[in-house]
Amino acid sequence: MEFSLIPFAFGAIQKQAVDEVIKCNEYTKRFGIILTPDQAVELVETRFLALSGSGRVEFGGGVIDKIIRAFCDSPYISKHNYTQTLHDLIEIFYYAKNETAELISDDDLIKFMNRAFDGVCQGSLDLLAGREIFRLANNLRFGLPADYVEDEILEEAEEDE
Amino acid sequence: MNNGLDKIRIIEPDTLDGEFYFQSLIEQAQIKGLLSDAEIERLQYECLALLAKKAERYNSGFSSSLRVEKAQSMMASVLFTIGVHLKTCPAPDDAATVLKSETVDDLYQKGRERIDVLLTSAKTLHQNLLRNLAEIKNVFYRATVEGGIKGFFKLYNPDYSAQEIHITADYPTGLPVPKLAGIEFITAYLNRLYLENSFFLCFASEDIHHLMCGGFGEYEELLMNVFEPVLTSAIGCVLAGTDPRRLDISSGEMLLYRQFEGLSDREISELIQTAAQKLDRVFNLSPQLYGYIKSCLPSIADKVKAATDRKQLDKVFFKPDYPDERPELLYSFGEKMPDEQYRKVLEEIALCRFSQDKIAVIRESVHSLADMEDILLDAELTYEEVMSVLGSLGLPELAALSKRYQLQAEIDEFGLSEREQNMREYLKEHIAGMPQKQREAIEKMVKVIREE
Repeated sequence: MEFSLIPFAFGAIQKQAVDEVIKCNEYTKRFGIILTPDQAVELVETRFLALSGSGRVEFGGGVIDKIIRAFCDSPYISKHNYTQTLHDLIEIFYYAKNETAELISDDDLIKFMNRAFDGVCQGSLDLLAGREIFRLANNLRFGLPADYVEDEILEEAEEDE
Repeated sequence: MNNGLDKIRIIEPDTLDGEFYFQSLIEQAQIKGLLSDAEIERLQYECLALLAKKAERYNSGFSSSLRVEKAQSMMASVLFTIGVHLKTCPAPDDAATVLKSETVDDLYQKGRERIDVLLTSAKTLHQNLLRNLAEIKNVFYRATVEGGIKGFFKLYNPDYSAQEIHITADYPTGLPVPKLAGIEFITAYLNRLYLENSFFLCFASEDIHHLMCGGFGEYEELLMNVFEPVLTSAIGCVLAGTDPRRLDISSGEMLLYRQFEGLSDREISELIQTAAQKLDRVFNLSPQLYGYIKSCLPSIADKVKAATDRKQLDKVFFKPDYPDERPELLYSFGEKMPDEQYRKVLEEIALCRFSQDKIAVIRESVHSLADMEDILLDAELTYEEVMSVLGSLGLPELAALSKRYQLQAEIDEFGLSEREQNMREYLKEHIAGMPQKQREAIEKMVKVIREE
């Protein structure tokens, strides 16, 4: 007798997840960005695919609303790239959960991603997914703080400034 | 009124899986029409809802998602726990009825409570076993009973991985544990260990040790069950007319072997069962232990039947051996000469044109077996020269070399150098070419020789 997790994770909680995403509009409209119901459904689908792709499962509404609240005031996000950026951030989030071997909480990971995206990555999702997440995973595996940067990299950054 | 008729069973117990009881029960109940599709769907949904709650508790707000493998393991734990409760129902049909009427949350809760009871009982049983542990010299026995089981109790997490066993339970019991998981497996395994230990306590530990030496030599490091040989020997003693408490059939072995001559398989089984009944009277065994012994008899009977056919009953009913009481022959390979001197000897041998000159140098310069061994390995002698040198050695020297190069055992030569492999071959060949009496003398010496 099969007790498959995936159909449940998608079917049973999809509506709850979509409702939570739509609710975020009350907060994000002050920044001039909102999501339509169709866009919310697409985001939830992206979340489901990202979970499947990274071998994870989620029973609650998920972290989409937390990601929205953290990134909606980013200087690198506007109404033109809002939806696509959210799709990418959701994928990067679940990828990072695996890469960091669950050594970082959801909230701390979102904070890290937000700081990096707005800071050293200057809005580049490639740099976020590639360099920053790699550095984070490395730091955590070796018991270093999440934000730890080796001296030579710091010096380079100072020189550039 | 019980008129002796059995209640009609819809689900046969032996169609259910001991390890995946809940899942197999649902499957059978569906096949037999005891559960509808809607009821099964409800059970699935409630299981998943329970899993969602457990996942949330597991993550404690740290993470909203978890790896699929972890979720699957938690689900397996939930299903196992429910299965533990369902097994307490009088029959599978009653368990199927319970599935219709109770929620998964309630079933899980009851299963969880049952696991706690099993866990407490297992810990108590283990403590009792440790307090009265027989002195069995087999390392796997002690390591599993002491360390292995303790490790299980330390690692076992009934909330999130109730189905896990965690340890490898290396030591095999006489009666194999059926297909079970988690605390059920450990309970069944511990029960067997406890009963086998109770039987061991009927004998002096030294008698068990000598019996095992007689049957298996250095059994201390063999991964094997000790109970079955001990039980077999006790049965053999009954049939041989010797005291089963001593586990020694020596004075009655001929009588023992004659009893099996010409018997059919059924008669052999009956003879063994009769002997077991006598053991019960001699040792006043507990009903549980006697029941366990009866369960182990078919395996012993099979071995006896096979041995009777091959006329090798001495391989089943063996006599004790007393290796610690055997005289030892202490042998020293002697002191090695200084390196500088050794190098000069090697150079001198290399300069010789003729074999007899080489042999003469060796005889003149080498005064210890340690140096002799090194010369044979290093001096690049021909086959004839090596054989000539070996021919000059006495029986004790040959026995000492035999022991060092383990000629009596089939060893894996992978770790040996080419020269060492050649040495083994030359030694084997040389000894094989000696008169029988000398070969036998070397064999006897090898058994008792011990290098200083």
